[in-house]
Amino acid sequence: MSVEELAFLALAAVGLFTAVAALLVRELVHTILWIAVFFVDISAIYFLLDAPFLGVLQLGVYAGAVTVLLLFGVMLTRKRIFSREAVTGIGAVPLALAVVTFIFAVAAVGEFPQSAETVRTYDPSLLSQYLFTTFGPWLLLLGLLMMGAVAGAIYLVREGRD
Amino acid sequence: MTALPLVGFIGLSSALFAIGLFGILTRRNFILLLIAIEIAMNAAILNFVYFGAFSGGVGGLTGQAVAVVLIGFAATEVAVGLAIVLALNRLKGTINVAQATDLKL
Repeated sequence: MSVEELAFLALAAVGLFTAVAALLVRELVHTILWIAVFFVDISAIYFLLDAPFLGVLQLGVYAGAVTVLLLFGVMLTRKRIFSREAVTGIGAVPLALAVVTFIFAVAAVGEFPQSAETVRTYDPSLLSQYLFTTFGPWLLLLGLLMMGAVAGAIYLVREGRD
Repeated sequence: MTALPLVGFIGLSSALFAIGLFGILTRRNFILLLIAIEIAMNAAILNFVYFGAFSGGVGGLTGQAVAVVLIGFAATEVAVGLAIVLALNRLKGTINVAQATDLKL
């Protein structure tokens, strides 16, 4: 077993554990700490797949911005930051649905080759060229969507509506 | 030169998506709901990246470019979601999604 495969197995184990821990832990602040570890772990998987630009983007946008946004959400909506959530049961039906989804997804894996494939590396400058030529309309759409989202968020939280 | 089996990656993202789906269906706190959506979204973005990384030609660049756009979409969604959380907290005094029943007939 090569070093890369061992690294992938370790990263996958950490990712699954932190995702489950984030959803099951009872303090909301601990949830956000777990989800920050999860985002860093996903970024490490991007680096493993030779996509350094995506890895850095994941670190900046998810591990940085989204985590801090979620922390602000917690700070602004409760009086005591470390107060606990009420216990919610695991729920048999959602668990069964999630397991069935997983089984369907894994059953589709049989279609793919089981052997190890070479990861192709791309120069980040090629990616930026591609993003600003072929993918230009999508970037414009993303910018328009973000503008609309800013306007919508300000509308939602503004004072003195009634 | 890195060589990795594609199957493990598909298993990982399927499991992460199933965890996210489970969280969306069971959690009642709006912020936990957003976090579960982010886990499922990350699983989907991972799919684009490694199908790109394992395919030839321009496919790798397309996968990475789609992933860049999707990361932007997901961040926008969290920002609007937290605005809804704040509005809900001011109107109802709670962020429990079971209490947000104003649109119910």
